[in-house]
Amino acid sequence: MEHSNRANNGGIRKALGNFGITPLGGLSFVVLALLPFIPPFNKEYLIRWLIGAVLLGAQAMAFDFTSGYISIVNFGFCAFFGLGAYTSAVLAAKAGVSPWLGMFIGVFPAALLGFLTGVLTLRLRGIFAAVMAWFVGLALMGITTKWIKLTEGPLGLNTPTLLKTSANLPYFYIVLVMMIVVYIVLKRVVASPIGLAFKAIGQNMEAARTSGINPARYRIINFTLSCAFAGWLGGFYAHYYGVLMPDVMSTAKTIEVLVVAYIGGRGSLWGGMFAAIPFVYAMEFIRSFFSKLSGLNLLLYGLFLILIMIYYPGGVAQIYQTLVGKSKNRIIRMLTNKDK
Amino acid sequence: MIDARPERSILNHFADGARSAAGITILATAALLVAATIDKGPYIIVNTIVTGGMWALMSMGLALVFGVMNIPHFAVGEFFMTGGLLAFFAVTPFNDFLSRHPQPFVSAISPLIAIFAAALGGYLLGVLSEYIIFRPLRKRSREQWVMNTFLLTLGISVFMINGHQLVFGTEFKGIVNYWNYPSLSIFGVYISFDRVFVFTFAVIVMAALGVFMKFARMGQAIRAVSQDETGALMVGIRLNKIHALTMGLSCGLGALAGACLLFMFPSYPTVGIGPLYNAWFVVIVVGLGNVAGTVVGGFIVALFQILTTVYIGEGYGFVVPSILIIIILIFKPSGIFGSPVRGVLDR
Repeated sequence: MEHSNRANNGGIRKALGNFGITPLGGLSFVVLALLPFIPPFNKEYLIRWLIGAVLLGAQAMAFDFTSGYISIVNFGFCAFFGLGAYTSAVLAAKAGVSPWLGMFIGVFPAALLGFLTGVLTLRLRGIFAAVMAWFVGLALMGITTKWIKLTEGPLGLNTPTLLKTSANLPYFYIVLVMMIVVYIVLKRVVASPIGLAFKAIGQNMEAARTSGINPARYRIINFTLSCAFAGWLGGFYAHYYGVLMPDVMSTAKTIEVLVVAYIGGRGSLWGGMFAAIPFVYAMEFIRSFFSKLSGLNLLLYGLFLILIMIYYPGGVAQIYQTLVGKSKNRIIRMLTNKDK
Repeated sequence: MIDARPERSILNHFADGARSAAGITILATAALLVAATIDKGPYIIVNTIVTGGMWALMSMGLALVFGVMNIPHFAVGEFFMTGGLLAFFAVTPFNDFLSRHPQPFVSAISPLIAIFAAALGGYLLGVLSEYIIFRPLRKRSREQWVMNTFLLTLGISVFMINGHQLVFGTEFKGIVNYWNYPSLSIFGVYISFDRVFVFTFAVIVMAALGVFMKFARMGQAIRAVSQDETGALMVGIRLNKIHALTMGLSCGLGALAGACLLFMFPSYPTVGIGPLYNAWFVVIVVGLGNVAGTVVGGFIVALFQILTTVYIGEGYGFVVPSILIIIILIFKPSGIFGSPVRGVLDR
């Protein structure tokens, strides 16, 4: 009886492990899923913040996929996010396409634009891709602001929501599932031979080239995938908030994602999600508590980014590494799949 | 040794120059400028020259700091904003005083004081940022330096934008003009004195910077560091000093541009984004790290911006120039003049 139980347990662990989820990771997903029922978090506005946090965490994951693995900063990330959002929203609002379908259609323009940007710049030094993505982002934002016939411009495009209900809880589970899908897919890619190539490129371009890796090709694959996920998450954004404005593509939003991804720790994927929740709560708290001091929360953003970059570049993932990753405790080792 | 090549006339050299990427771009831009001027009037030339000089100054700072320290500076726009702010706060008390006690000499000299104060403030802030931000990072690790410093400058940018908003609010802090003199008439076109001054000043600063880089010992040291840091260290150049100086110069140039253009760009928290975009645009067009090329690039980009606004519309200022960048990245990623400092291809 006990034996079969253990085998069963091992089976689940193995199945989870195939998706890149350690028991500890799985546990944190469960805790996250139950969070809206735990007393201080069960108020509607707190669930709303939580949805924002999970969405930001998922964005940070997709962002970290490029910045952490191939060392390219996608400085127009939120433009790709916004392109997915606007595609889906315009299709739903003007052509009556179901938002559920639109979310997936929005992936394609974002991925295509990411691909073109990548083809243009990724054979050059990394800074070109960052600057070009930034230019693309500003251009896209300019177009959405001006193309009023299609996008309603700065007045905001009203979009149908995913569900008829006004409750936040169902949306929370939708975004949670999306986040987990993003995580699993990215983790699988990273664990595959392609992921190995990404890591090789990120660490030492010369060595990677010597091993027969074509850096430009892998970088383009990576960049396109990241942009595709950005577009998909954008679809959720459009159909959750129900109103879409061009400033969703602004550089400030990209910096928000970037800060969270770096606090989380580059190259960890999960770090961004872990950092997003306390971060969003702290920022929203500061914004509502010190509402007279507008700009204070973003000032702290900037300060955080500087301090993290100089003094603690590993972010949350580094804390995890020192506290948990090297721990000798048997239970912790088992929970993190280190006991083999 | 006898030179076997046939004698080449000056005309041949010109023809060669005109066939190069730089020549084609410059000639095309000049043709565009003439065409637009005939179509819309001489103010196109005036605006191109006035703003172009300032974009050239800003991108010069950017190219310098990238060439010497390998830092892609994304906070130059915020130094532009700070320069405007400093100049505003320096010139306002003067104007208050002058409105009570009119004094021609003081009113002639006060804007100059404000602009110099702003440039000095930008310089000092730049040096400070080198000491408290870039040096600790350089000490800790030089791994992935370009990306890390890129993010650091972003942090500085966010910090300064929101610091401005927090302390001074979001309202426009600007002036109508520095000098209340009547407009000058040049070729039958009336140009305000401020604009004439700004252009003249830009030329003077560029020339001074060129002389400094070419002949002064510090300037030579800066160039040495940009060519080979280890070599510069070996001949006894103090890197720390050069880094601080370069960062200060770059930020000071940004602040100077902001102060000079205060009458066109009033200072508010996010005013720096447009100028930053232009400066980066120039740097990519002429080639990353090419300092001399930015002088021409500034005017090319200014013309593009103005033509976009005039012919297509206000909000498309970011859209159309991107097409030029795409063309350049496809055909000549090293920019129209080429990057002399380090290669553009990732190795």
